Amino acid sequence: MNLLRIDAQPARVPAWILSWFLFAAGIAIYFYAAEQRHRENPDDRVMPTVTQMVRAFQDAAEKPADGEEQRSMLVTDTLATGRRFLISVALLFPAVLLGLHMAMFPYLGACFLRFFQFFDKIVALSLLPILFIAFGIDELSKIMLIVIGVAPTIILDTVNLAKGVPREQIVKGFTLGAGDFAITYRIVLKQIMPRVLNSIRLNLKAVMLFLFAGEMIASTDGLAYRIALLRRHMGMDTILPYVLWVALLLFAVDLGMSTLNKKLHPWFQE
Amino acid sequence: MSISVRNVVVEYASRCILNGIDLEIEAGEFVSIVGETGCGKSTLLRLILAEERPTRGQVLVQGKERARPDRTCGYVPQRYSLFPDKTVLDNVTFGLGFFRRPEFREEALRYLRHTGLSEADASKYPHQLSGGMQQRVAIAQALIMKPPVLLMDEAFSALDPGTRRGMQRLIKDLWRESGTTVVFVTHNTREAVCLGTRVIALAKRDERGSSIALDLHVPHLDFDSDEEELARLIAKIELNAGAVLSMERDDDASPVHTRTRV
Repeated sequence: MNLLRIDAQPARVPAWILSWFLFAAGIAIYFYAAEQRHRENPDDRVMPTVTQMVRAFQDAAEKPADGEEQRSMLVTDTLATGRRFLISVALLFPAVLLGLHMAMFPYLGACFLRFFQFFDKIVALSLLPILFIAFGIDELSKIMLIVIGVAPTIILDTVNLAKGVPREQIVKGFTLGAGDFAITYRIVLKQIMPRVLNSIRLNLKAVMLFLFAGEMIASTDGLAYRIALLRRHMGMDTILPYVLWVALLLFAVDLGMSTLNKKLHPWFQE
Repeated sequence: MSISVRNVVVEYASRCILNGIDLEIEAGEFVSIVGETGCGKSTLLRLILAEERPTRGQVLVQGKERARPDRTCGYVPQRYSLFPDKTVLDNVTFGLGFFRRPEFREEALRYLRHTGLSEADASKYPHQLSGGMQQRVAIAQALIMKPPVLLMDEAFSALDPGTRRGMQRLIKDLWRESGTTVVFVTHNTREAVCLGTRVIALAKRDERGSSIALDLHVPHLDFDSDEEELARLIAKIELNAGAVLSMERDDDASPVHTRTRV
């Protein structure tokens, strides 16, 4: 038996089967349990059957939403959440630039670094009531929550990445006649960009977390709003597909960013 | 005078690294600096580079004291000598200007060919090249700026002996052609003697930091020179440096077949 050895070399097919095993097992167990519950109580709402879920998801995707002419519930919710998500992620790029400058210009570092190290430790969700009071319960407060929650992490991470660029590279830049900004942008920023994108990818989960918190508490549209709303009606047949839909979207965004990262930085080795 | 180091003292916190360094290097010299690990030879190089400033004393390059590194000195470090995100061509043309002009490309290709690379290498990224090739590009990148002084910090120390010997020949040829002043830091005495027209050995005498233990103008040795002469010089330097300097095993690369140990 060398199955449980660290030098084991699984063949392709068994490895592939193993990688899907837990998915298959999870689905099978759900089917079985749902089947059991529906046999006992045909009106069970806790574990909807697949047929129920498909029907509910079709309804969500096809029937126009309340107060909408054409757009369905799913499209309206996805667009609302997607818009907030994109604005928030776009707002992370100024954070990257701030971190870069903090790392490169010692006076800026002296000014901002300690502040952001402290700010990073504030639990962003605890600020939510303050944000609602300060900015009202509209879009601004929700986006501010995401930015406040994620930007300090991105800033500090960028500072570390920029400081990690070997001293030799900067000296080399100077000896080749580069000035402060050429070194900051042409050497350091270009070099850390793939790692910065990876850092943003890792933080997409946090972005979604804050976004969902904001939407669940104060919103009239969006995927999380819908999930929170349906909870009151025990609408598991819609909630479950929605959860999977959100995971799928996030997975697609992450995959897209990873592909883009590889395309943009063919020199990046990691 | 190309480089003047006047009565320089370098202290970190309470630790003294260099103590009373006085050094005049004339234009066109090839100066090797040898010494044990931690004796401050890289610190001396950083002083000339203006990356560091002395606690006391003065460092003048081309008659000027500088606040930070600039185009006066070309620089080839041991590691991280190329920008990993740029192709070989973009690395070499980096210092020429922001835009990709055809004349920059021509100039860069000329320098690349001169340092032993082909046109096909120009579009590669540094990670696709061997260590020796990378250092060739780094030399081309530095020389294309026509710096009055070229500083090399253990530039060949990470290379295998065969490659290393080729690089030594290359840098010596380039030095002869360009007439630039070269300061070459190494911990390998043989390399120092074979390359330099002048060898400076730094040694730590006591807690007060390192100073120049030996300043020797060496005869033109080249690589096929007389082993006895070479051995005598190496022994002399190592004796003066007051310690056994590392003698790397590079028999297979060296034209010299016997070894000397102090």
